[in-house]
Amino acid sequence: MRIRANTAIGGILIALLGGTALAAVAWTPFDPLRVNLRARLQPPSAQHWLGTDEFGRDVLSRIMAGASTSVLVAVATVVLAVTVGVLIGSVSGYWRGWADRLIMAVNDALLAFPGILLALGVMIVIGANSIGIVLALALAYMPSVARVVRGTVLSLREKEYIEASRVLGNSELYSLLRHVLPNAVAPVAVLATSMFGWVLLAESALSFLGLGVPPPAPTWGNMLAASRPYMENAAWLSIAPGLCIALTLLGINLLGDALRDRLDPRMAQR
Amino acid sequence: MIGYLLRRLVTTIPTLLIVAIAVFLLVRLIPGDPVQVMLGDAADPAQAALLKQQLGLDRPVPIQFLYWLERLAHGDLGHSITNGLPVLPLILERFQVSAVIVLIAVAIAACIAVPAGLIAAWRQNSAVDLIIVGSATLLLSIPSFWLGLLLLLLFGLKLKWLPVVGYVPFSESFAGAALFMVLPVVTLAMIEVGVLTRMARAASIEVLRLEYVTHARAKGVPEWRVLARHVLPNAFAPTWTLIGLVLGHLLGGIAVIETVFTLPGLGRLLVDSIFARDYPVVQGCLLFTALIYVVVNLIVDLCYPLFDPRVAAA
Amino acid sequence: MKKGRRAHWLFAGLVLAALLADAASAGAETLLRARLNADIRSTDPGTNRDANTDGVIAHVVEGLVAFRDDTSVGPMLADSWTVSDDGRTYTFKLRQGVKFHNGAVMSASDVVWSLERWLDPATQWRCLSEFGPSGIARIEKIVAVDPQTVTVTLDQPTALFLPTLARPDCGQTAILHRESVGADGKWIAPIGTGPFKLGEWKRGQYVDVIKFDAYSSRSEPRTGLTGAKTAAVDRVRFNVIPDSAAAKAGLLSGALDVIMSLSIPDMDDLKTRPDVQVSATPSLSMTGLLFQTRDPLLQDARIRRAIALALDMPQIVDVVMEGTAKANNSALPIGSPFHGSVQEQGYQQDLTEAKTLLKAAGYRGQPIKLITNKRYSFVFDAAVLVQEMARAAGINIELEVLDWAAQLDRYNRGDYQAMTFIYSARLDPSLSFEMLTGPKATQPRKVWDNAEAQAMLRQSMLTSDPAKRQALFDEMHRRFIADVPMIVLFNGSELTALRKAVKGYAGWLFPQARFWGVSLQP
Repeated sequence: MRIRANTAIGGILIALLGGTALAAVAWTPFDPLRVNLRARLQPPSAQHWLGTDEFGRDVLSRIMAGASTSVLVAVATVVLAVTVGVLIGSVSGYWRGWADRLIMAVNDALLAFPGILLALGVMIVIGANSIGIVLALALAYMPSVARVVRGTVLSLREKEYIEASRVLGNSELYSLLRHVLPNAVAPVAVLATSMFGWVLLAESALSFLGLGVPPPAPTWGNMLAASRPYMENAAWLSIAPGLCIALTLLGINLLGDALRDRLDPRMAQR
Repeated sequence: MIGYLLRRLVTTIPTLLIVAIAVFLLVRLIPGDPVQVMLGDAADPAQAALLKQQLGLDRPVPIQFLYWLERLAHGDLGHSITNGLPVLPLILERFQVSAVIVLIAVAIAACIAVPAGLIAAWRQNSAVDLIIVGSATLLLSIPSFWLGLLLLLLFGLKLKWLPVVGYVPFSESFAGAALFMVLPVVTLAMIEVGVLTRMARAASIEVLRLEYVTHARAKGVPEWRVLARHVLPNAFAPTWTLIGLVLGHLLGGIAVIETVFTLPGLGRLLVDSIFARDYPVVQGCLLFTALIYVVVNLIVDLCYPLFDPRVAAA
Repeated sequence: MKKGRRAHWLFAGLVLAALLADAASAGAETLLRARLNADIRSTDPGTNRDANTDGVIAHVVEGLVAFRDDTSVGPMLADSWTVSDDGRTYTFKLRQGVKFHNGAVMSASDVVWSLERWLDPATQWRCLSEFGPSGIARIEKIVAVDPQTVTVTLDQPTALFLPTLARPDCGQTAILHRESVGADGKWIAPIGTGPFKLGEWKRGQYVDVIKFDAYSSRSEPRTGLTGAKTAAVDRVRFNVIPDSAAAKAGLLSGALDVIMSLSIPDMDDLKTRPDVQVSATPSLSMTGLLFQTRDPLLQDARIRRAIALALDMPQIVDVVMEGTAKANNSALPIGSPFHGSVQEQGYQQDLTEAKTLLKAAGYRGQPIKLITNKRYSFVFDAAVLVQEMARAAGINIELEVLDWAAQLDRYNRGDYQAMTFIYSARLDPSLSFEMLTGPKATQPRKVWDNAEAQAMLRQSMLTSDPAKRQALFDEMHRRFIADVPMIVLFNGSELTALRKAVKGYAGWLFPQARFWGVSLQP
């Protein structure tokens, strides 16, 4: 299959992101945490390519270091939410009966909370650290995944080819894994990619509302939130992390679409 | 139809009960309490204990819960600890502000996003598609507090077209209220356009692959007609479900926008109350948003046949 | 296209309508528009309150005495007072012809009624415990000798009686008219004697105070919450605007005249704008680095001292306060009359000495958790700099960001290793030490558990002789520095941004704006 332009652009963006995140572990131009009070709020220059922040820390170094933290937090959240969501959703949809009803009541209750505020509450309880953010955001997003997966499972359960699989003597688990779940890949992929972006942003919104990954450990989200008072007189502080978030999301979305097309069984039938 | 409606309503009761319990527990798990916030850094233990007793916070949590539940059954959400006001009228007043913004913004966003998503899907993987997907992604990757402030600075400060701070309810002056609503609505709509375009595109791609579209094309139906008659209505149905989800969530979630534009909405009330540990208000708000979410999704489900010709035909 | 054009016209129409509405209301009255960062909690002084509430209510009510600009206590509704030789009986002479907002003339019976209402537990007065068994003194009786004279008798002499009456968080022990409460004793609204009457309170949006035309002002110049207090504008509207960036935009666009409690970055930006003036006044709040002296690691005073010696405090203050405040290691604020040469003696940065102390204490890089919050940017910024400077001495500090209520909870329970914390203003030096000193066993929030210091503190509360008190405070300061139960970093600064049209504004030691005597130039 020929690689399309969209997929290529997405791949390049994500490769760049991954490369930066990895590189930052080994090397950044400056120490991203090093405060330099004599060089505060400096505009981009030959020395500081993206300028310095309100503590005189090098923005480029923080963007690089932030790539690691942000990506780690976002990936961990998405993986956790998708894993738990798929598990709960498929179990619920396949079993049906009272277990399904109970699980879905809890799930709907979680869904009914405004995500960002659920995360805010959970974070105050767990604490404003990386693990707290991952748990809080995953809990807020997991119910959507569970719901989508359950819907797919329910609608396919009685289809002829699943019945056929059963009649052929395949175990329930096998038919679930082989025939039902692949159909859930497309909607879950769409959800997961939008979740990825949502996590990057939610973390920023949490910082804006007063909580977030404890600085000075930089993430793009908390950099963006911290840049707000300086939006007019030090625009580089918000443009750099903002652009990084936007490009990452674009890359993830393009790749997500490609992934969906590749995995969608209806697509494969053609 | 009415029987179905009733059944649906009954099934939401356990959900709401779970919400109520979860809210009550979550609120009390949060470290810190309203008395400490009230007394600040000069909290005399005896004084704190007295205040707790007056607020009924010295009783065991399960007892507090039962008291709260009992009053809830009578439609009484209690009184705010911060300012002593009854919670329910407070919530209803704030809800009006949020509801107007969210409804208008989502309506505008849907009107832009559904056609945009359709076009992107129709020309999938072309330059047009990339531009639409790119713009949508850019829009949804801008934090609302950032975009909001940008618009505020541009239209409020530089161009002086719109008021910067303050709020007038529609009941006092329609024109005045509309002026204050423009920026928050635009901000929210821009971000939701990003979200919904992607959803609409995904839904349209699904529909474009269906056989009857191929059929229609094969029969020589003009392409615009295929899109308008066959694809758009079908692609709108799943998007409609998502609009329901979005609507329900936004009501509590526009706290950020309400903060930026100093609007006395429900989201801001909730965030302020969380920080002040105003238990009755937090409980009331969360329960209320959950209820709204459930009701909105019920309405969405009931309207679903209107938008999905496949279901309507069946 | 057609649709777009129509929308455009509709929009233009709306703008025009709003402009006309604005023009119609202008000229009728002078309105000063100020910003509050959060809504007030109630209109009931000294009960359900916070700093914003106190600030608004101070425009409406007045007490017998009030703080002056220099933290001394001056007369307000009292004309003068005398104290009996045993220090227990205070005789207040009231001012003549002072009117309440409902037109009634204030007399001794109103004073007695008000004071008795404060002392009634049902009032839920915040400062009632000060006059209880564990407080400064008990009030034995309150007597109206004649319409202009009231005597108050205490069970023991105390230096803190008048300062407590004057405390803004005690509602200045305001003298109120009986109609402020209903027949059932329930609070309705304040009918006070202040230069403004309470206007409309739109919860979550704004609260108005309206000029009181029959206000009888004192004659001496404005100082603190007393002196000449005539209103020079017809109405002051306190707008509730939680977001500081929105408030800043409001000021620049002309929708606001005053922003109180300005954040540091905003001040930096606003002071360069042509139509804005910035007022910076040293305040009495105190930002410090607290240690838990019962912590297994930090119970070693050498480690606490090493942290103090690792810090370049003048630089921390300079950065986080942008030059609006000075470093101060004393529990007494720089503005206090008791802050002298002894209090100037604090910690000097000395990295070699810090490293030696750490080595002697056997410190091997164990992490120290430092709690901070983002409610106050300077408290958070100070934590970041402390962490960074301590790192240079080999001290490993980890930040933990909590919301304010959660931090307060940890503070009250003493459940922390270290935190950067802000104490609200204390107007008397004894109170400044009282908030720090006490037995941790019964008062876990107290940072300094030192029996001798507590004995000296008690003495300082009983005597009114300034020289004796100064000697006590000096000795306490020396021990405080030696023990390092906490490091006082600096006293805050009250920052206010005003449009240039606002005349006659002056900030003071309290984080509360005063809008009497403030006028608007057209």
